[in-house]
Amino acid sequence: MTNKKEDIDVKLIKHIQEGLPVTKTPYKDIGQALGMPEDEVIKRLTKLIEAGKIRRLAASIAHRKIGINANAMCVWKVTKERVDEVGNIMAGFEEVTHCYERPTYPDWQYNVFTMIHGYTDPECEAVIQAIKEKTGLKDYVVLYSEKEFKKVGVRI
Amino acid sequence: MILSDTDRKILHRLQSNLPLVSRPFLELSKELGIDEDTIIERIKFMIEKGYVRRLAPIINTQAMGREATLAAVKVPEDRIDEVGAIINSYSGVSHNYLRKGRNVDIPYNMWFTMSAKDDEELKSRLKEIEERTGLVVRSLPTTKKFKIGVRFKIY
Repeated sequence: MTNKKEDIDVKLIKHIQEGLPVTKTPYKDIGQALGMPEDEVIKRLTKLIEAGKIRRLAASIAHRKIGINANAMCVWKVTKERVDEVGNIMAGFEEVTHCYERPTYPDWQYNVFTMIHGYTDPECEAVIQAIKEKTGLKDYVVLYSEKEFKKVGVRI
Repeated sequence: MILSDTDRKILHRLQSNLPLVSRPFLELSKELGIDEDTIIERIKFMIEKGYVRRLAPIINTQAMGREATLAAVKVPEDRIDEVGAIINSYSGVSHNYLRKGRNVDIPYNMWFTMSAKDDEELKSRLKEIEERTGLVVRSLPTTKKFKIGVRFKIY
């Protein structure tokens, strides 16, 4: 973050990362607070999204509160040559919200991570079963959360 | 559960990008067939009641030049609160969960995500946690992304 353009983008993100104003003209209101015209706010946000720096300008939902109470982090042991194929199959499930490859260690051989969210535990279990059937994978662990210590959105 | 069908419709749509036009909620009202004032009022209600954590940019930490990782630690049962508090004291920690293997025992129980301004800072913070707790912190950074996009099926 050295040049001026990025400094302004960071200032803009910092200003709105706790929440956009929920008004008829949110971008105009942001601009007024930062001394920036509305169309500049819109242009900068559009560019940040296009550049992938902002994934989405969207709502983060308290999923447990709306009844999506079940989640399972399911980790899979996948051979290197099948990672791409299997990762794409897993990502195709609507209930799979995240799917990543991660490194292994001598005491940790599960390299593909999936996060599954559902309204009930059986719904999550059914997705795991479907993934097993579609991929033929047998070596996996379902990690369930016993306690949530911290959950906040990423800030800069 | 006090959300109406209208609320659910709005909530579902709000998980995707808010239109980048002068009157984004007016744009949504055309898409959803719900008037602008109602949309604004219901979003405010859902934020106030905590159904929506925030309506804000979801930041791609790596694209912003930041580095992030998922880290796992084996914490003795009697030190869980103490170690949890140390880890959570870092502002770069966005999630921290105690997890157990359902079908197989796993070597770690505390799982957290940490981001930092660069790889050096990330590594030094993880090392600092190791020093402060005397425990080994396993870093599992993403090597490939297949999906990232927490959008829930709302029905």
